[in-house]
Amino acid sequence: MKGLSANRGIMDDTRPNQYPVNPALAASADGDASVPTRRRVLALGAVTAGAVMSIRPALAQTAGSVLNCEIPVPDASRAGSYIDADGKVVPARTKGAFPSSPRPFKGEEVKRAMANGSTLPGTDSARSRAYVKYIRRLQRGQGGFTCFASLQMPRG
Amino acid sequence: MHQTIFHGPPENGLFVAPLDEFTAVYHRASGITHLLTEPAPQILAMLGKGALSLDALLDRLARDYDLTDGTREALAARLDELIESGLIESGLIESEPVERT
Repeated sequence: MKGLSANRGIMDDTRPNQYPVNPALAASADGDASVPTRRRVLALGAVTAGAVMSIRPALAQTAGSVLNCEIPVPDASRAGSYIDADGKVVPARTKGAFPSSPRPFKGEEVKRAMANGSTLPGTDSARSRAYVKYIRRLQRGQGGFTCFASLQMPRG
Repeated sequence: MHQTIFHGPPENGLFVAPLDEFTAVYHRASGITHLLTEPAPQILAMLGKGALSLDALLDRLARDYDLTDGTREALAARLDELIESGLIESGLIESEPVERT
């Protein structure tokens, strides 16, 4: 472990050189000036093998997760924008474009629409086509990409 | 003026289990499990609270930790890894992100 600095927190004296109770989700009270800030050493660089390793689920599990993962149209960073007939994100109220979907689509719904051309739930055929084109254009880093990518994975 | 911001999934979108040197993170939306090493869990935790620009994120991390290699380049490289994994997303906004205190 890198961080051996004094992080004997007031309420967490269990394993001083371990992460705080739940590092990624611990609700931090650091914003409160009355609470001494926990000072640990954190190295941002010098990671040789990368800081993230992803474990793809086994095929059987993939089938289940694909059914339930979600794809927002468009993603949260562009919420409220419209989708034109080519699947491009355009400003709200652009003529001929479609409003964003009021709810994200399930992976299963998208897979079905792509496979047999059926419409996405709650849409007519033109709107569904525009949404599907949007989803096909998704890139890494955009909301729903991982779900879309997992739809492409081979199924056992 | 556009600015790139980064945000992570909401807290209930992840299941997190610290495992000695690693932190295992199950991403509910994709059904994929990720093994993270520092500083990825800390970055993910910050971005789970709200969207931040690169500079704002660096400031927050520097506020909570004694950073080594605390450069924009190093942080950008870690963010790229998290984006690649699908755990965080980037987007463009037109103005400064709202500071949450």
